[in-house]
Amino acid sequence: MHPLLADFRRLQAYLAAWLVVAAAIAALLHLTGRGGWAGAFLFSAPICLLYGFDALSAYWVCRTQPMVRRRVGSLLGVFGGTALLSGLAWLGVGVAWDALARLVFGRALVTLEPAGWILWFAGGTLMYLLSLLAHDVLLAVEQAQEAAAREAASRVLAREAELQVLRTQIDPHFLFNSLNSISALTTIDPAAAREMTVDLAQFFRRTLALADRERIALADEVSLCRHFLAIEQRRFGRKLRAELRIAPDAEPCLLPPMTLQPLLENAIKHGIRHLEEGGLITVDATRAAGALRLVVANPVPAEALPPARAGAHDRGVGLANLRERLAALYGARGRVEWRAAGGRFEIALELPAEEASAAAAPRPTDKETLR
Amino acid sequence: MTEPLRALIVDDEDLARRLVREFLGRHPDVAVVGECENGLDAVRQIGALAPDLVFLDIQMPRLSGLEVLELTGRRAGVIFTTAYDEHAIKAFELHAVDYLLKPFSQARFDDALARARALHAPAAGAGLEALVARRGEPLERVLIRDREQVHVVPVAAIECIEAQGDYLAVLADGRTYLKTQRISEIEAQLDPKDFLRVHRSFIVNLAHLQAIERQGAERYAAKLRSGKRVPISRSGYEKLREIM
Repeated sequence: MHPLLADFRRLQAYLAAWLVVAAAIAALLHLTGRGGWAGAFLFSAPICLLYGFDALSAYWVCRTQPMVRRRVGSLLGVFGGTALLSGLAWLGVGVAWDALARLVFGRALVTLEPAGWILWFAGGTLMYLLSLLAHDVLLAVEQAQEAAAREAASRVLAREAELQVLRTQIDPHFLFNSLNSISALTTIDPAAAREMTVDLAQFFRRTLALADRERIALADEVSLCRHFLAIEQRRFGRKLRAELRIAPDAEPCLLPPMTLQPLLENAIKHGIRHLEEGGLITVDATRAAGALRLVVANPVPAEALPPARAGAHDRGVGLANLRERLAALYGARGRVEWRAAGGRFEIALELPAEEASAAAAPRPTDKETLR
Repeated sequence: MTEPLRALIVDDEDLARRLVREFLGRHPDVAVVGECENGLDAVRQIGALAPDLVFLDIQMPRLSGLEVLELTGRRAGVIFTTAYDEHAIKAFELHAVDYLLKPFSQARFDDALARARALHAPAAGAGLEALVARRGEPLERVLIRDREQVHVVPVAAIECIEAQGDYLAVLADGRTYLKTQRISEIEAQLDPKDFLRVHRSFIVNLAHLQAIERQGAERYAAKLRSGKRVPISRSGYEKLREIM
């Protein structure tokens, strides 16, 4: 269906434009001495309104000509042919209306000699050609916009897929170092080696199980983090201490999987590891005013050494990714803020507090907008 | 049997150090003389103890294993240990330097030890020398050893570098640091987009360049933001004009 036919208000505006064309034609007829003002308009107006619908057929004509790899020959043939046909129809309707008017009103509305009729026919053909061109341009613009939208959508999808991969990807460094620690423990403390193996297996199992879910409960994420910390504590010994303070009402809140764990990984990689005496990582999860708030804080070396190589800028990239991810999922209601001051790094996440059951029912915000 | 080999173990993880110690237990001719938790400590200990063998982790806080070698000038009797580092491993392969991938077996460890012993001759340092001198990526920080202290200077803070005999005078943050290195060597390590050799004995950080001053016919000097002036040679002037 033609977009104008589907929209009544736009159709009205379109036909009004044709009345303007009719008035212009009437003026031409009058000025060339072919009829009176009123008679000329009475002659041109019905034909123009009718022709307005005929001109819309250009939409389908244009659509038969693909935008890409069109042939000049066939394009000229089709456009010229349909324009001539429309011109003939315009001429036929003109002649018929002229004859009918003579019968109805008993006099001619306009007096057109053969040369006048030829001009009349040429005008109709030209107007159809203009319609074809206008439609062609509009279709081209529409297609370009569609292509741009498609491209944007595919970019978003690709980004999401990339993030998905990153989330499930375990730092190979972490894996191999953990295995090395287990290897060392087998003779020093076999029981600890076994525990560490179990922690490592649990951590991986949970990561695999949770990473492809869209949202998980904070309690699940925290349990995964506890396994992760248990492994890291064996690697770094007394240097690494951690305190997880999770408010009971925050536990059922939903969040994207692997949100908290990378923050802990960062805290160790960029903070604790570089401190000779180690330090304490704190995680605070609270729920207030419909929002879940997560704060991870850890000490960092006072002398901020420049990174040893380009890859060490990862942290900034990772945090920017996290911000983007939360913005994509929650819009303005998902926030990430971080700051480093006084030898401490602190990162705070805020997202809407949603529970599994509440997520299935209509969300509270939807209700609010309905009211 | 001669004197036992003296070994130093450098790794920031306690368990990793203990594993090396355990594997060394089978080699009574090797004595562990020290352990280090980080790169800075390793620089000090290598200087103080002069061990025959160093088990050196690559990824460490403060200084990486390669930076430890750069600062100490140590080239022989080094066995790298690393869990995962694509860049480093590529470099090791390229320069035929021995390394242990964590986790490693006793057999693999014994192999590496045997090779290190056989290669204990100073000539074996050639591969390492090349490895330390050229690390592929441009430098992000310059390490300067000042007796017991190690200064880490981010390259962005460097205004200019001047060759003074066997030394380089590195001007950064209003201080001058002395470093033993050839100017052509550091020129090759710096990012050519940021640093330009404007004179036989001067490299300038383009970010700190304020103006080029004319000092008579065909004689130019670079004025830095700090107010310092550096002479520009004729070819240096041509290079500058190309960039500007």
